[in-house]
Amino acid sequence: MKSLIFLLFCIIVKINAQGNTLVLLDNQVIRETHSIFFKSLQDRGHTLTFKIADDSSLVLSKYGEYLYENLIIFAPTIEEFGGNLSVDTVTQFIDDGGNVLIAGNSVTGDVLRELASECGFEVDEEGSFVIDHLNFDASDEGRHTKLALSSENLIDASVIVGNKKSIKPLLYQGTGILTDSENPLVLPLLIADSTSYSYNPDQPIKEYPHAVGKDTVLVAGLQARNNARVVFSGSLAFFSDEYFTSAVSRKQGNLKSDKSGNDEVSTAITQWVFKEHGQLRVKSVTHHKEGEKAPPQDYTIMENVVYTIEIDILEKGQWKPFTANDIQLEFVRIDPFVRTTLQRKPNGQYEAKFKIPDVYGVYQFKVDYDRIGYTRLFSTTQVSVRPLEHTQYERFISCAYPYYAGAFSMMFGVFIFSIVFLHIKEDDKKSKSD
Amino acid sequence: MSKISLLAVFIVSIITLECSQASVGGYFSENDAKKFTDILNNGLKQQEDVTNYYHAARGLSLLKKPIDVALSKNACSFLQKSFKEGTPEATFKVLNAWILLKCGGKLHNEAQVKNIKAVLEDKASSTESVRYALEVLATIGESVPNAGKIAKNIQDKLREDDSLPSLGHALHAGVLLGNEGKFVADRIQEIVVQADEIDGKLLQWEGGLTTTSLIITGLMRNSAAGQHLNQKQVDKLANYLLSRKTVPSPKGVWALLEAAEALNSYALFPVCITIDGEPFVTAEKPDLKIRVSNLFGGAVRSKTSVTPVVAQSATRISDDVVVLSKQSLNPGTTQTEFILPLKLTPGHYRIQLTAGSNTQSVESRVLGPIAVQSLEIGLMDADGSSAPKLNKLQHPQKLTSILQGDSSQHLVVKFTLSRSVHQAFIRLSSQNKEIIFVGEEEAGKLYKVEINLGNELSQSGDFDIELILGDSLATNSIRWNLGVISVSLPSASLSAKTARGPKPEINHLFRVADKRPAEVVSLLFTALTLSPILLLLILWARIGVNMGNFSVLAVPFHLGFGGILALFTLFWLKLNMFTTCAWLIPIGGFTLFFGHKLLSSIASGKKPEKADK
Repeated sequence: MKSLIFLLFCIIVKINAQGNTLVLLDNQVIRETHSIFFKSLQDRGHTLTFKIADDSSLVLSKYGEYLYENLIIFAPTIEEFGGNLSVDTVTQFIDDGGNVLIAGNSVTGDVLRELASECGFEVDEEGSFVIDHLNFDASDEGRHTKLALSSENLIDASVIVGNKKSIKPLLYQGTGILTDSENPLVLPLLIADSTSYSYNPDQPIKEYPHAVGKDTVLVAGLQARNNARVVFSGSLAFFSDEYFTSAVSRKQGNLKSDKSGNDEVSTAITQWVFKEHGQLRVKSVTHHKEGEKAPPQDYTIMENVVYTIEIDILEKGQWKPFTANDIQLEFVRIDPFVRTTLQRKPNGQYEAKFKIPDVYGVYQFKVDYDRIGYTRLFSTTQVSVRPLEHTQYERFISCAYPYYAGAFSMMFGVFIFSIVFLHIKEDDKKSKSD
Repeated sequence: MSKISLLAVFIVSIITLECSQASVGGYFSENDAKKFTDILNNGLKQQEDVTNYYHAARGLSLLKKPIDVALSKNACSFLQKSFKEGTPEATFKVLNAWILLKCGGKLHNEAQVKNIKAVLEDKASSTESVRYALEVLATIGESVPNAGKIAKNIQDKLREDDSLPSLGHALHAGVLLGNEGKFVADRIQEIVVQADEIDGKLLQWEGGLTTTSLIITGLMRNSAAGQHLNQKQVDKLANYLLSRKTVPSPKGVWALLEAAEALNSYALFPVCITIDGEPFVTAEKPDLKIRVSNLFGGAVRSKTSVTPVVAQSATRISDDVVVLSKQSLNPGTTQTEFILPLKLTPGHYRIQLTAGSNTQSVESRVLGPIAVQSLEIGLMDADGSSAPKLNKLQHPQKLTSILQGDSSQHLVVKFTLSRSVHQAFIRLSSQNKEIIFVGEEEAGKLYKVEINLGNELSQSGDFDIELILGDSLATNSIRWNLGVISVSLPSASLSAKTARGPKPEINHLFRVADKRPAEVVSLLFTALTLSPILLLLILWARIGVNMGNFSVLAVPFHLGFGGILALFTLFWLKLNMFTTCAWLIPIGGFTLFFGHKLLSSIASGKKPEKADK
């Protein structure tokens, strides 16, 4: 009986593992046309609440508590959110750590544009499509806007998009996104080919297009400083059942596949954006002098120190040891004095051994692991390093031997001479008397 | 600019115009049928809802698809197990599923029939219950008892509840009651006017697919009494059904197919005129295939009603010029296929088609090749002081030499095309970086790109020059590598990017110890330093020292003095100041005391000698 209750408990925990997600739609039909996408989310343990985006009863938070952890906005044409939802509340939601997935299309509404620019993306003008006259899919309707993309166009980060090599070609139809390449928080998850551009296909090109060539971002991601994640796709069709199941064939480069890779990629992207993937934490940090066990009160310059850190990654709802070979430790006093790569030990800990610099002061052990797709890991531990005591300097310096010899010979001389001087019996009295 | 917006307005107006006269622009294709079959077969596999077996079996029979024997066997055994007294609807659906799945034998018993008849007798039964009860009796071949009374019951019920589903079921019940059910004919007009039109394209009844399907099938069953829907309404209903072909559930698919089949067998059935295959033609394959079919993509029931198939007009959308009129279409390889040869200049065309009395406008594109008629590339001084040196190139050729450019020069590319294109870009690329420039159409298909090397490029290097020509009406979009330009700029300011990833390792440089003299030197000087005391000792040994005045009294003083020196040595070696002081006080006191004694004894020993003098 007990085990049954436990089992039941486990199941409940599993079901609620990924938290609540609010899905905003243009109309209920999207729920049917994107059923595979929503089903895969539900199968992974997300609780989806479907609402029409201008529903007047929309709320994100109640009594200061968020009702949802994630938000999906599949309402490209929406001009104004309903209820108490607005660009400000969604931005606040992101600031408070919420994750958002947004899909637009060529008629992306103003409210989504505004939201996108809050996140550092710029959506191209209304009516514009990403056009590629060389890399369109065979099923294109004639305007060359249904792009067939090689998986090479995905970002180099397996934690976000999965294994890039094995992903099948992708289908995309929608608008282009511009991102600032100087912004380190924004990631171009999927980019167009060199021959692409974003423009209204029915109008001749009079002005320089907003997005041209590889600068045209199709799916953009943002990991904010508070680790909230946002993904903006310029194509709602990218996630549709039709694109998930249809075949891809492109003349250029002989790209062909029975089934597109959209299913795989959107699963990977949603796993990333809803923080199922790439979430790291520091489990423990210890440091001590070499040969000892406990951390000392303070370190002395030029001592050997051992630093150990344990890092976990969230996998399927459980924290497991994280494996990487590029985690670095810095020993910092304003500037880093030492930067060394942590070595992974068999028990999953990372360790670094180094000699403390010959400059005293207040230092920090700093691990700042900021890699594409992973949450930023930042750990500092402050220690003080003091100079040598007077007894700790070098004692018998060879070139000082003459000084030692001088001092000791003088001491010995005084000792001997004092004996001789005090007790000598002069003979000259005798010789005078003689 | 105003021209463009005018054009845009014009295009939009054309589109809306086209929408308002649309007949049926689609049909349930092979792909849709396959999707439906999959959904229905899944419906046969489930074991939850008995009515779904009916939906699946009926849907498959409407699609004329065979039912898998193993699946139907399983379904039969499940139906037998779970068939018990339920609502008339469930009873009807189970009994019909039993028949459709060819399970064989009799499933129902007397008690159930009695129960069904009780439903008919009951005044409180809803129209839905009554309808399905009547259907059950029709299925098992029992006669309807007291049809007049039932008809009266339904009429009473409709007075209480005249919602659309209730009316829809009454339509079906009316047919089943035969002559007694004529009363429903009076309600038909009322039902038809309740239909909602969406965007002028679709027609549906409130309540979604299920209600719409129920009413369509009901109306069609009553069609013996006259035609209640006109051709336009039928077409709009068909459009609505086509828009719902993504339904995922077996029940939805069944409702959709049931309604589609009903429309298809109606006197004013919808005719679907669509482009078959690719919606564009080229000069090599100028034949546009048009499909004239019923809703399921099959041949239309009466051929005469859809002949002749004529292209009334073809209009070029960009300038609204009519290029073709009243051209008959040739029959193709199948009954549904018709062929329209389009030997036109490349462009975007709207074609008005008629098949008998049905009209439909379709959009098609005529594609053509782009050819680069001439291309010149070269460098020009920014101030235009000297004539530009331009090289002529033919299509697949490349520049034989590398162009040498600097910040005071412009790269100029001029080319003439066989016709205007949407995309005429020049791309400069080196490794991962690329810069794209848009070609301006100067006049008469002459394009020019002028690139100010000093302003546009941020760093020196070798750039590949590429011409990209593309158009949605082009069969051969071109990507032509023109050659290489080597640009040298005065200040190559490389912006350091904030890259993630491992940073370079830092090893602290410890301060190097000062240089020390060789050990030999220090040993030599040590020896020199020690030499005076050695000399003293040697000399003393040579001349001899008379220690006649030595007395035992002196020993403690010398021990004390030696002790102090030894303590200093220890202080140097390991003791600290405090321990040294602690030791020094007793030893010092001891030495002081005995030193005083010694000196006083020496002094007193010398005085008597002086006195002797």
